[in-house]
Amino acid sequence: MIEDLLLGVFASAAALSAIAMLVARHPMRVAIALIVCMLALAGIYALLGVHVIAVFQVLIYVGAVMVFIVYVIMLVDMRDNAFASRYSWLLVPGAVVAAALVAAICDALWRGGAAPEAPGGARFGIQAFSETFLNEYWLYFELVSVLLVAAVVAAISVVKLGIGRRG
Amino acid sequence: MDKTQLLVALGVALFAAGFVGIVVRRNALVMLMCMELMLNGVNLTLVSFAQRMGSTEGAVLVFLVFVVGAAEIAIAIPILLLLARARRTLDVEAYADLKG
Amino acid sequence: MTHPLLAIVLLPLLGFLVNGLVGRRLGPRFVSLVGCGLPIAAFALAVKCFVDLGATGAPIVDRVYVWAAFDGKEFDVALAFDRLSAVMTLIVTGVGSLIHVYSIGYMKDDRGYARYFAYLNVFLFFMLMLVLGKSLLVMFVGWEGVGLASYLLIGFWFEDAAKARAGIKAFITNRVGDAGFLLGMFVLYQALGTLDMATINAAFASATPPAVSASLVGILLFIGATGKSAQIPLHVWLPDAMAGPTPVSALIHAATMVTAGVYMTARLSGIYMIAPEASFVIAVIGVATAFFAATIALVQTDIKKVLAYSTISQLGLMFVAIGVGAYGVAVFHLYTHAFFKACLFLGAGSVIHALGGEQDLRKMGGLARRIPVTFATFAIATAAIAGIPPLAGFFSKDEILWFALASERGGSAWLFAAASLTALLTAFYMFRLLWLAFLGAPRMDAETAHHVHESPPSMTIVLAILALGSAVGGFVAVPHYLEPLLPLPEIRAAVAHLEPAVIAVSVILGFAGLAAVAYFFGGDGRRAEAAERRFAGVHRVLSGKYYVDELYDRLLTRPLAWVSERVFLVLGDRVLLDGSLHGLAGLARRTAGAFARVQTGNLQLYVFLALAGLVAALAWAALHV
Repeated sequence: MIEDLLLGVFASAAALSAIAMLVARHPMRVAIALIVCMLALAGIYALLGVHVIAVFQVLIYVGAVMVFIVYVIMLVDMRDNAFASRYSWLLVPGAVVAAALVAAICDALWRGGAAPEAPGGARFGIQAFSETFLNEYWLYFELVSVLLVAAVVAAISVVKLGIGRRG
Repeated sequence: MDKTQLLVALGVALFAAGFVGIVVRRNALVMLMCMELMLNGVNLTLVSFAQRMGSTEGAVLVFLVFVVGAAEIAIAIPILLLLARARRTLDVEAYADLKG
Repeated sequence: MTHPLLAIVLLPLLGFLVNGLVGRRLGPRFVSLVGCGLPIAAFALAVKCFVDLGATGAPIVDRVYVWAAFDGKEFDVALAFDRLSAVMTLIVTGVGSLIHVYSIGYMKDDRGYARYFAYLNVFLFFMLMLVLGKSLLVMFVGWEGVGLASYLLIGFWFEDAAKARAGIKAFITNRVGDAGFLLGMFVLYQALGTLDMATINAAFASATPPAVSASLVGILLFIGATGKSAQIPLHVWLPDAMAGPTPVSALIHAATMVTAGVYMTARLSGIYMIAPEASFVIAVIGVATAFFAATIALVQTDIKKVLAYSTISQLGLMFVAIGVGAYGVAVFHLYTHAFFKACLFLGAGSVIHALGGEQDLRKMGGLARRIPVTFATFAIATAAIAGIPPLAGFFSKDEILWFALASERGGSAWLFAAASLTALLTAFYMFRLLWLAFLGAPRMDAETAHHVHESPPSMTIVLAILALGSAVGGFVAVPHYLEPLLPLPEIRAAVAHLEPAVIAVSVILGFAGLAAVAYFFGGDGRRAEAAERRFAGVHRVLSGKYYVDELYDRLLTRPLAWVSERVFLVLGDRVLLDGSLHGLAGLARRTAGAFARVQTGNLQLYVFLALAGLVAALAWAALHV
């Protein structure tokens, strides 16, 4: 019972913060709204029993990505044209298409009945997770590490590019 | 309506909200943040389905999506900053060089 | 020799190819040798075939190859040599070879020497195909080919725009006639399923003639003959064709090509024998043309133009004979006409050569003593055409006049009267020509008079041979020779006794013409000038050739040019075709421009459009799946 209540709370938080992202004028407020949304999602993951992913959500997304974005927002001058007028001319068409998207997918979603419940729990513990990850998906582990190296190289070259242009 | 359906609907709603944000907001950084929101919506659906099916593979996939998302944002922000510095504004309507 | 007819036809073609391709490089002597030698060889072969024909009596047929075969029907290229073809082939190759030899002297210093002989040879090739063809199709190929050769040779000195225009006029007028010829061929094929002339004649002569109107076919084919043989209304090209070299006028526009129409109607006599309406039309047009051309020839001042109108007039008389059913007599006159008209034209060429290019009769005179051979041959040929016995023209013209009066198939008194009047006029203008050119006081300037000289032997020998032919050719009984093939019509009982009277009349007419010329032009020629002043109006109309050219120009040429300019060029080509193409291009450009509006360079729009498409697909799937 309490779980359902918490689930409802977290779900509402995620939805409301998403709407707040669309409406806020200052980018910092948008960032804060996004952090709240991510934390609410982490809570949902935890409630579902997928604790590993919940922890990683907070660690990687909130801890690294959002902190990075917050730093950038702080360093860049925000008072320009985009601050004055928030929305482009695609406001109404965009909203219409998004609503259609939700309607279409939800219609497909609710056509079928409920899927059978599967045994859960321990399968999402850190031990089960690590075993599955490094036994069966170790190739993707390696690939991801290559991707990260590529990202580092790209970031450094972008910085150098920036320096080159200024200098 | 059971839990999985509700959560997937929420995930789709977050995805749609992110889409609206990309299309509507004029600030480039806000656009990027809305992209993150879309990614999160997709993650939520993934986790819901994984939990319902009881498969660890789903969790592994979600983890990989995290990593890729992080790498992507690590590059996207610097590129955006360079562009903003060149154009002296964060307004995406000023980036329409390929017009015509 | 297995294909003698094919050899006769191909020898001149060989000459055309050799002279045309390498003639210029190999020099005039080589060109003369090839250009004259091959036609002479063809003549020799024709003589041999003629002898063979006389020996066996059956026509020689040469099936060359099958041109097309479909629907169970075959069109083959075949050549046939019977009595009529024999006469024609001998004339074409014989007189043709003589004129080739004459051209050696006449065209000696011309820049286009090799081209000239090449064109003459190709003309011979097509003409032989015309007279030897077994089916109308082969004849038509030859028919068109001689029209082409005529165009090439009339406009031989094409750097002169007027001469080139004369060539075009000839070709186009011919084409108008050919439309009629083609229609006739189509009707025949539709009715009989074949174009073989022997079969056509047999079908029409049989007890059950085909269901098509013979008169219709006859008139359609005659329209083609009008174009080729320069009868009214398509006679306008022949006087202009005198722009070509004189040997060309002799060969093509006197002896051979213009007689193709006569040959064609004689060959298809089977049709005309059961087509009295068509025959009547032919006779009327023939005599009308003969009379009108003779009146125009009375006042012409160019030596070649007189001979041109004379040719038109004589062709008219040949068609009178065709019109009354005396086909063999028409061919007989064709045969004698070839001799004396070629002799006259070549003699005129000799005069022009002697005077260094002068063609105006008013600037000639007194040449008889200075160029005696030319004068003698010219005089003999003139007497022949005037019908002085016992020269060739007398025999053939007398036959025509007799059958014009007495033929069962259309002979009548008025036809005879008109033809006789024409004969009188012929004698008059021909003797006038002789008188003005050779007799009387010299009217040329001193410089030209000083240079008058006789032509070289290559020219004078030919003139002598042709004059001989004009003198004794009449004793060859051509109508009798052709009787098995072209039977002579029956004589009307009412006038059967008038034959001696008709002979007497034609003799008197010939001498009357001579006497009249002596009266008018003798002495100092004052009486001629006085007559001209008294009938000035008539003289003006005749000099203007009855203004037929002007009429055609007003009626046909100008409206046609207007239609070409305003309808086809401005409206059709510029507005419709160019406009539609430009319009299409403009449409493409505008459409592309409209589509290019999508590329705003705005990232948000692109993302929106991508996802909108996806949502549309999802919505469709949600509704239909």
